[in-house]
Amino acid sequence: MTFPISTKTIPDEAVSRFREALGDENFSTDPVICDGYAMQPFHKTEPGCWINRPLAVTLPSSTEEVQAIVKICIQHGLRYKAHSTGWGAHGGAGYDNVVQIDLRRMNKILEWDEKNRYVVVEPYVNCAEIQAEAMKRGFNIHIHGAGSVCSPLANATSHCGMGWSGISTSTSSRNILGVEWVLPSGEVLKLGTCGSISESAGSRWFSADGPGPSMRGIMRGWAGADGGLGVFTKMSMKLFHWAGPKETAVKGRLQDLVVEKPDNFRITLCAFPDARSYADALFKVGEAEIGFLQCKNSVALMLGAMMPRMLRKIHASMNVKKILDACRHQFMFTIAATSDLDYQYQSQCLEKIVDDHGGIVLDAPAPLHSLMYWSFVRVSLPPVVFRMGGNFFSTFGGDEAFDNCMEQARIGEEIKRQFIASKACFDDLADNPWALIYENGLFGHSEELWFYDHRDPEMGRQVDDYAKACADATLEHTLGGGGFAFFKGGEVHDILGPAMSNYHIWQRRIKKALDPNDLSDSKFYISSD
Amino acid sequence: MALEAYRRDMEGCSRCSSCKWVPMSQMKSHRFSQVCPSISRYHFHSFAGSGKLMLGLSLLDNRIEMNDSVADVAYKCTLCGACDANCKVYRDDIDIAEVIEEIRATCVENGQFFAEHQMMIDDLKRENNVFGEPKNARGDWAEGLGLKDANAQKVDVLFHAGCRFSYDEDLLGVIRGAATLIRDAGVDLGVAGKAESCCGGRAFGLGFRGDGKNFAEDMAVRVKSSGAKVLLTPCADCYGAFKYAYRRMGVDLGVQVMHISEYLKALAANGKINFKNRVDRKITYHDPCHLGRRSEPYAGPWEGNKLLRPASRKRDGRKGVYDAPRDLLRSIPGIRLVEMERIREYSWCCGAGGGVWEADQELSDFAARERIEEALTTGADALATSCPWCERNLRDAAESMGAGIEVLDVTELVARSIKGEVIS
Ligand SMILES: Cc1cc2nc3c(=O)[nH]c(=O)nc-3n(C[C@H](O)[C@H](O)[C@H](O)COP(=O)(O)OP(=O)(O)OC[C@H]3O[C@@H](n4cnc5c(N)ncnc54)[C@H](O)[C@@H]3O)c2cc1C
Ligand code: SF4
Ligand code: SF4
Repeated sequence: MTFPISTKTIPDEAVSRFREALGDENFSTDPVICDGYAMQPFHKTEPGCWINRPLAVTLPSSTEEVQAIVKICIQHGLRYKAHSTGWGAHGGAGYDNVVQIDLRRMNKILEWDEKNRYVVVEPYVNCAEIQAEAMKRGFNIHIHGAGSVCSPLANATSHCGMGWSGISTSTSSRNILGVEWVLPSGEVLKLGTCGSISESAGSRWFSADGPGPSMRGIMRGWAGADGGLGVFTKMSMKLFHWAGPKETAVKGRLQDLVVEKPDNFRITLCAFPDARSYADALFKVGEAEIGFLQCKNSVALMLGAMMPRMLRKIHASMNVKKILDACRHQFMFTIAATSDLDYQYQSQCLEKIVDDHGGIVLDAPAPLHSLMYWSFVRVSLPPVVFRMGGNFFSTFGGDEAFDNCMEQARIGEEIKRQFIASKACFDDLADNPWALIYENGLFGHSEELWFYDHRDPEMGRQVDDYAKACADATLEHTLGGGGFAFFKGGEVHDILGPAMSNYHIWQRRIKKALDPNDLSDSKFYISSD
Repeated sequence: MALEAYRRDMEGCSRCSSCKWVPMSQMKSHRFSQVCPSISRYHFHSFAGSGKLMLGLSLLDNRIEMNDSVADVAYKCTLCGACDANCKVYRDDIDIAEVIEEIRATCVENGQFFAEHQMMIDDLKRENNVFGEPKNARGDWAEGLGLKDANAQKVDVLFHAGCRFSYDEDLLGVIRGAATLIRDAGVDLGVAGKAESCCGGRAFGLGFRGDGKNFAEDMAVRVKSSGAKVLLTPCADCYGAFKYAYRRMGVDLGVQVMHISEYLKALAANGKINFKNRVDRKITYHDPCHLGRRSEPYAGPWEGNKLLRPASRKRDGRKGVYDAPRDLLRSIPGIRLVEMERIREYSWCCGAGGGVWEADQELSDFAARERIEEALTTGADALATSCPWCERNLRDAAESMGAGIEVLDVTELVARSIKGEVIS
């Protein structure tokens, strides 16, 4: 299905100013180039794969150039949208008069402060690059669950943030220690480490916000502004201790991975007889403050991602379905110990908790542990969700107490059964929540994955209905804030806001104060009026 | 197959950008994490593998017109296949390289390609080689080696030198040395001399399908009349054409195709050659795209939903030739093989392929210099490879950079070990 192409054009004067600011090589209005930014099937609820074609594409290489772009856009009343690694419709043009800011030329790691445990990066540095360099220094980072070729800056400043190691590294929003931010006015605001006065090592602030009132809530809140509040050009992020080796010899790429698991790592699957014991055990695990990585990868997720052809056939057999159903209450748990004693302590805690809840701890056998170790540390698995049908979607996702997450999963399953019956998505046994606990169980996350093929018109058409049904259920059953429904932009905020302390009024005020002309593309955030 | 046949491949791109990077699990540094020369140099997304899928779809959907810009994006690409191999770490249903080939064929149908490519095709048609060198001089490299004339006598093994080895004076020693090694191992070896012509792989890669097929069919006739059971080539580019492009064009050679590294390895295994002498060098190895991921045999078109295509029918780059040259190097006493970060199916391209060396010197140099920089980080004193196109481009880059690293063919090192001297 084609998407209407804007007939709008950029004024000649704006074109000359862009060229002057960026050089001819780094600016284009050519439809051939601009269409390279107009196809974004992920996170798109309309059928088809095309989104708005931007009027122009810019490739800045510095904060000054980003400022110049924003100022030219302000002067000519053009909307603009920044993206970093650019994965998803939320990074593309939401309207028909948008200048795309592709930040891929800003790809430097600017500073390592090992003493104060942070690293300062530009937008186009990806998680795997930082992790590889961090490990050489004995550190690790939080990698959000979209995978390690995504930009941590994009995710931490502008979009969600949960990831597989959340039990020990929390979410991206907690990992920002400072930003450099080109505001929608074109001015530059520096926060936290990026805003400290002294450049000499050791004297910088390494709190996220520095002294004074925090701007973090305004900057990103729970979900991030998805490009609707200006452009972030630098970010300082936390470094965590890394208990593994500085370099890892890896053979293979994904399913064929062969990696030596370090002895101080224990990789397990913990299985329980029912939902209650599974959830209670997780609360206890959180309380015990153990673990490096914890996550429920549903059976459907594992099969759909690794053996998609098999998952298509499974529903033919009721018996197999029953067996798989019996395996649903499980989570993966990884220990990364800093000493033998630590290993023993964490292991014994885990075993006791699981045993107390009637479960069993299964240690990952070789060679499976290669995959379960390295691909989860590196977060290299996520794009496998596209194997089943070419696309995926996700709903719920409100970060709440884990019992609420369990409700999200239960209701998500009920809703999905109806959509499976109408062939809106592939049959994943309806049980496909991706669930984790964060910060030692302080809160949890659960989202209901949905495998579909956007090239199938019937499937493509029903994504929006599904998203709406889940948003309605969120409201009706008080399921964790707005969850992913937030990303539908203004119209959803207006529905959810009244049930949630009228947050939408405040959000709109923030947008209006920072971007009165509504030029920082807010399709996935909120408009100023 | 026309571009339309790949509509679902193009529409299926999830824009995950795996086609721009080495596989996530293999990323070892910030410096050497990228894998696509085209987007690394030109930055706009259209230049990535994913962007080329969008380009094709945009053409099909009549969102853009066929014009110079389309050709610019389609041809400023080394057709190295790194995007294809890395996309397939995750996807079963997208064949990026085939889409790029179809876009190029569409460009040619519409007369949109670079002038340099037209010149090359004209040269090819006139002189049977991509350089426009006299066709009569093609077999001169073999003078005095006493190789059998495959046009006049039946041979077990037909040795196809390829255009680059036939005419690049700098590489004369390499090709003569390679043929000598095989001859001395007692193999019934012949060459076609003046009658040898280009394999046609370049023409196919540029989208000149008819010309490519003519050369391929011509090759098939020559192979058949020689009676050879094995078609042996020291050129990775030709090897890739025989293994992949020929099958895409529907031409069956009917013989076993072997690269010289595979053949030498087999000779060593049978005790026909012995690595007698030490070669005390620290070597790093560059995987030529057309010996590696691009040589993976074409399994035929997949009718229907590619999501259901079995893994065995998916060309994911892993079935290319990676171990034979490395095994040879490891067999040579004294050689210490040190690997670069980007190797095997996620290797960085040397920049010579896909018509880029002929038409976009800047991209070609950019890619080669990047590879030399990567080689230098290993501390190796020589960079070995198995393709004359890679050798030419990497040697030029190393020289212009004053990098102080020698660029060698694997067969040169083998010859040094077997003969104890450089054969020229
Ligand atoms: C398979 C899959 C799994 C996923 N799993 C998770 C998950 O577990 N956790 C999670 O948090 N998310 C998840 N997501 C969503 C995904 O994280 C985000 O889409 C991801 O951050 C986007 O990738 P990106 O880094 O390429 O960012 P981009 O697409 O570049 O940007 C993301 C958003 O931020 C804005 N933005 C980017 N850079 C800037 C900047 N410098 N200044 C201002 N605005 C900017 C963009 O406009 C866009 O709206 C998943 C997505 C997929 C496809
Ligand atoms: S890796 Fe494949 S699916 Fe992902 S962006 Fe590239 S072409 Fe598209
Ligand atoms: S074939 Fe090579 S140069 Fe061309 S887009 Fe793919 S990775 Fe880039």
